[in-house]
Amino acid sequence: MRRLLLTVVALVALTAPRAVAEDTLNPPHWQSQGALGSYDLAALQRGFLVYQTVCASCHSAGALHYRDLQALGFSSDQVAALASNVKLANGPATLDDAFKNPFPDPAAAGAAFGGAVPPDLSSIVRSRPKGLLYVYRLLTGYRDAPADATILPGHYFNIGVAGQQIAMPPPLKDNQVQYADGTKPTTQQEASDVTAFLAWASDPNLNTRRKVGLRVVLFLVFLTVLAVATKRKIWRETV
Amino acid sequence: MTRTETAKPWAESRLPFLGTWRRGLAAPVLSRDAPYLGTLPVLITATLVFMTLSGLVLWVYYQPWHAYGSISFIERDVNSGWLIHGFHATGTTMIFGAVFLALFRALLLGEYRAPGELVWFLSLGQLILLMLVGYLGYLMTGGAVAFWSLAQGSGAAMALTGFPGAIGAWIFGGADGAATLGRFAVFHVALALALFGILALFFAARRALAVPGVPRNAVGFHPYYTAQYFAAFVIYALIFAVLVFFLPQLGENPLNQAAGSPLLLPVGLAPPWYLLAVGAIAHVGPGALGAIVAVLAGFAVLFALPWLDRSTPAAPTGGLYRLLIVVLALDVVALSLAAAAAPSTLADVLTGLFTLYYFLHFLVLTPAVTAWRAG
Repeated sequence: MRRLLLTVVALVALTAPRAVAEDTLNPPHWQSQGALGSYDLAALQRGFLVYQTVCASCHSAGALHYRDLQALGFSSDQVAALASNVKLANGPATLDDAFKNPFPDPAAAGAAFGGAVPPDLSSIVRSRPKGLLYVYRLLTGYRDAPADATILPGHYFNIGVAGQQIAMPPPLKDNQVQYADGTKPTTQQEASDVTAFLAWASDPNLNTRRKVGLRVVLFLVFLTVLAVATKRKIWRETV
Repeated sequence: MTRTETAKPWAESRLPFLGTWRRGLAAPVLSRDAPYLGTLPVLITATLVFMTLSGLVLWVYYQPWHAYGSISFIERDVNSGWLIHGFHATGTTMIFGAVFLALFRALLLGEYRAPGELVWFLSLGQLILLMLVGYLGYLMTGGAVAFWSLAQGSGAAMALTGFPGAIGAWIFGGADGAATLGRFAVFHVALALALFGILALFFAARRALAVPGVPRNAVGFHPYYTAQYFAAFVIYALIFAVLVFFLPQLGENPLNQAAGSPLLLPVGLAPPWYLLAVGAIAHVGPGALGAIVAVLAGFAVLFALPWLDRSTPAAPTGGLYRLLIVVLALDVVALSLAAAAAPSTLADVLTGLFTLYYFLHFLVLTPAVTAWRAG
């Protein structure tokens, strides 16, 4: 599974235009931020690698289908090959299958993790205030607990969440994945990339929306100038 | 054939009523000083038509039994579904913005005074219906905040006894979320269509207020006011487009983007921006009945305003009264912000204070200031 993913990502990385190297980690920021930002496809592909290798073993993302991955720059064949490596109850996954839910129901998930159900990640970035930073800080917020902290059983100290405790064990570590494009897989880099991927998962239409929006707004600005000028001209002639 | 007949445009000579329309539109009978904001009722109606059309598309795909999933499907898998859903969601912000602005203007100019009371009542009826439609639509999203608001609301309604309990049971159809959303989808559409009726009455009542006779220096509707309406419409569309494409989640509680689930309880249940003030006033009343009474009282003082205002109907409202109206608007904004903040004792105290000022404005300050001014 992992080897195939690497091949797919490597293939795409060879054909896709290289992004300009930029330190996106200090302070953490993403290309999709800002009114006219768009997704960084290279980061989305790296993020998907992290998602599929790490997150997908416990979390579902039921609103996503394997076919949606074509928006990340993968070809239909690449995505089909990728999906066919995912084993669903009735055989290998196809393009039109939703992302595999690792547990049959929330009760089974809860039973596996001492009552803490891993949330669905389809809309996690969109459904939290300042979602990008929330996910990034959560993933990079694991620290050694201070001596005076009382940690609940099965919980981990994490400065990125309210209450500073979380039931999820630290999911990321350095070199957890190997990036085909040569990016150094530090914990921060992996967290940043998977956050970018989850942002895309939350709002896959952002690029289209902003592209269409820019045209519509420019047209309407032009039309506003024209309409107000016309109105003033018509009214001026009556005096 | 006489010369006048041959000079008639092609279509008008064949469909004479077109000529009647054209002459009616161009007849110089309108005063010259109607401001841009006078176009608000027409913009509200246009938005409502737009909401009906986009709602029609959403209705094709909406499933009350899988509310959150069906909206997610519209956003992700229906061609241009994200755009139609965006139009419907942001259209709500636009229509409430226009209605609040129109009400603020009516208050500032004292348009609610005789003989404008009926127009004022119809504006308020429009606001109440719109809030009901908006609230139902928000619950229909099935997001985490909507899910728990519905659980809280239906639970409180089921706990009522006697007549209010029977009404509550009829509206919610039991405390079960999915069955309730099916009913709400019907109410949402029915009440939205009823809004057109209220708007028709509003325009008829407003037309009756017009001073008879032709004003001095009168102009025709066309081309003078068609140009003004067109400019207003384009500016409104520009604001709409900026919000749809660049701020699609404006005024929403982000937690409502998560699926409603019995396992996920959001901290605080702040509704969308247009319901924050009403929600805050409801929060002040103790219990379910207290909340209902508080909200009814909040609207009742607005309905009583033509009598609470002791000034001479035709006189201008005056600087002090206008200042009070601006302070009232700020108070409602502050009340909304306090309701949107994370739950805390400070937020509760501020909500209480701002609610108190709201009632103080109508029940004490308005009669006192207007009576003093009328001498």
